[in-house]
Amino acid sequence: MKRTLRLSMTSGLLAVAACLALHPEQSQARDAQTILKETCQGCHTPEGENALSRISHQRKTPEGWLMSIARMQTMHNLQISDEDRRTVVKYLADTQGLAPSETDGVRYALERRLNTVEQFDDQTKQMCGRCHSGARVALQRRPAQEWERLVNFHLGQWPSLEYQALARDRDWFDIARKDMVPLLAKRYPLDTQAWKDWQKNMPKAEAMVGQWSFSGHMPGKGELGGIMTVSANGTDQFKVAVDGQYADGSPFKGEGSAILYSGYEWRGNVTVDGVNMRQVFAAKGGELKGRMFDKAHDERGLDFVAAKQGTKQLLAVQPGYLKAGSEGEVTLIGSGLEGKPSFGKGVEVVEVLEQTPERLRVKLKAAADAAPGVRAVSVGALKGVNLAVYRDIAEVKVVPAFSVARIGEGGGSTPKVQGRFDAEAWGKGTDGKPYRIGVFPAQWKVEAFDERAKEDEDVKYAGTMQADSGVFTPGDAGPNPQRKMSTNNAGNLKVIAAVDDAGKSHTGEGQMIVTVQRWNNPPIP
Amino acid sequence: MKHLKPINNKALKLEQAADENRIEEVVAMNSVAGCASTTDPGWEIDAFGGVSSLCQPMEADLYGCSDPCWWPAQVPDMMSTYPDWNKDAQASNDSWRNLGTVFPDDK
Repeated sequence: MKRTLRLSMTSGLLAVAACLALHPEQSQARDAQTILKETCQGCHTPEGENALSRISHQRKTPEGWLMSIARMQTMHNLQISDEDRRTVVKYLADTQGLAPSETDGVRYALERRLNTVEQFDDQTKQMCGRCHSGARVALQRRPAQEWERLVNFHLGQWPSLEYQALARDRDWFDIARKDMVPLLAKRYPLDTQAWKDWQKNMPKAEAMVGQWSFSGHMPGKGELGGIMTVSANGTDQFKVAVDGQYADGSPFKGEGSAILYSGYEWRGNVTVDGVNMRQVFAAKGGELKGRMFDKAHDERGLDFVAAKQGTKQLLAVQPGYLKAGSEGEVTLIGSGLEGKPSFGKGVEVVEVLEQTPERLRVKLKAAADAAPGVRAVSVGALKGVNLAVYRDIAEVKVVPAFSVARIGEGGGSTPKVQGRFDAEAWGKGTDGKPYRIGVFPAQWKVEAFDERAKEDEDVKYAGTMQADSGVFTPGDAGPNPQRKMSTNNAGNLKVIAAVDDAGKSHTGEGQMIVTVQRWNNPPIP
Repeated sequence: MKHLKPINNKALKLEQAADENRIEEVVAMNSVAGCASTTDPGWEIDAFGGVSSLCQPMEADLYGCSDPCWWPAQVPDMMSTYPDWNKDAQASNDSWRNLGTVFPDDK
């Protein structure tokens, strides 16, 4: 009897073990509710009506939820397949996401514009933004209790934070609990009218299907335009094809897929010229806007805006400037472009070279006495973009004015983070006020930023600037025995652009810090 | 600072900057998304907005950063979150190439 019981128990255990072992291979997809129940509920306590402790009291972007689950994997040994993780991220971003207005002003973090100098109050900058971006905080919504738990978690996980600069000079924990928690709960609350309204009025994902006319700008490469075709491929999922070209005639073609989160957060993966490019766009009433970048090298990317076919929108003028007394070709990009184009006082349309609803190419002539300044462009009744007419360039600005590049590779696991620059010309209007003319081709170089950088020969070691494109490739990672104390190939550099305008050279300067790599690189910096 | 005396150039510079109230200006400039402004001595940028006062080559003392969670948003902390980060790179100066990135991306 005893033996039989043991045997049956053993076989029972074996069966359970076999089930568990087989489980990961089961191909049947689990829905989000099942995953939350079977996987997350192991730690998160049910609170009735499908609510779970912690999870149900927060709202985040898709990237925010991805980072939370990734944290559960690294810190709490959560075992979850990529497929299940994607399912949960999608579900939570849809049901507990952010309204479009709640991401205003901080989308740079999602779009990986990592040279953005953040604008937060000093307290938030010092208490939160001294380790990670302030945007990481601003892209979450929680009630006070959840913000407080986040503070507690930070101190428990990284106890030395109280001893670091900008913490040891104050009672960090006290300020975090008593000042920051109420501030964040007020500034970024869980319950908002914006999210309630958005949930009610969220547009249907089918509205994304169709053709989109797009315009873009890639630093180091120039402007581009084309058509993006979107077809449905399951619930909130799409097939994507882009077909366009740069101003220099080189093609921009690729295919891939995309997902729509929270009714407007468009995330695509499109392979262009063998490069996997990520699309981070916000959809808003027939417009898609954001950034498209190399997934492995996110500093290589383009500003992107698209108009849905069937809507009427004027997106861009390429190039957006013309010299007084000269003739030139410009292309207007948009959707539903009908009627006569007009470029304002002193600018005459010599010839319409091409006109489709998405693209209007014209030859223009700016009168020699055309007043320098910005003119509103229109096509029929459509407006919204400008053409700058200039006589002289008054100033050249390097964009970004302050930037961070990173050494990498050299046999290590982290990529080099390049510096990518534009030379922006500015003019002086008849009113004496400066106005932006646009991005000009330039000759680029780097110099030591200060005496110290000169002494340390930063220019020699930190990397190489491509003279005609404004693309700076940093040096290799690792100690460099050729440098003093074998220091890294870091550097503090001036970035200098020289723009030629009718034989006259105008220069502009920016600052670039070439610094060390980071190994911790989540989607929100 | 009155009980501390700078004994090298780096410390002297820092003391001078603190006396001239320049530290905060530097901190404001360093608020670049995702870079640490904890400038003791700083991961990306030092207290003077440059790189020459950083602790470099950082590989020489990398685990002096990762062990006590200094710059945990850039350097995987080995105290709490990634205790095995350096299992294949016991001496950071020699085997830093074996250190991997830590975000669990989709495979």
